[in-house]
Amino acid sequence: MHKKFKRDIKSLESIFKFIDDFIERHALDHSLTFVLELVVEELFTNMVKYNSNNPNDIAIELNKKENDLIVVLTDFDAEPFDITKRPDIDVDQLLEERKVGGLGIHLVKQMMDKIDYEYKNRTSKIILTKHLEK
Amino acid sequence: MFDVKIDSKGEVQLFGRFDASQVEKAKAVFDSLEKSCTVNFKELEYISSAGLSVLLATQKRLNESDQKLKLINLNKYIGDVFRYAGFDTIFEIE
Repeated sequence: MHKKFKRDIKSLESIFKFIDDFIERHALDHSLTFVLELVVEELFTNMVKYNSNNPNDIAIELNKKENDLIVVLTDFDAEPFDITKRPDIDVDQLLEERKVGGLGIHLVKQMMDKIDYEYKNRTSKIILTKHLEK
Repeated sequence: MFDVKIDSKGEVQLFGRFDASQVEKAKAVFDSLEKSCTVNFKELEYISSAGLSVLLATQKRLNESDQKLKLINLNKYIGDVFRYAGFDTIFEIE
């Protein structure tokens, strides 16, 4: 399934509906709904926040290939933003030292099995894979 | 749909889905807290890092006057998110 969404935080509602439809269509376990909604929200809101002047929609693709779920977010005419190269946050820090930045990407890394990044012709593409339990 | 309310016992009640589009609504309530209080997650289905940020900012602010939030009734998925974020060590969770 493939769909483009307006670069706006208000698109989240229709994005969640899109994910729910994908889960239903493939009769996937409902525990995956939470995971997919969270990882897509984190990456989509990053694209909205850090590239807010870009007039292009953001494309989201959801696929099931054998025992893998594949999520692709594509940002057109964008600067590179390679999340695989972002430093890990330290989750053992004390309350006073904890910062909000990087938390979303940290959660994505925890919840998915593989993260790939492609940047070509000013198109920025994040590819997430989750292995399904057999 | 997301909602946040303070009930008659002074407990914060969260409802529905706390995503990035709901931050302002949540902040309006959490910014008003001045003393230790319980946050009830019983009716909350979903939270992302945007929601965690509001809770973290509140805990930091309250901590300066030795006050804190206690979180109760987290569902399994939300509990997992708190653990992945390392928030299980900076909040009292019941």
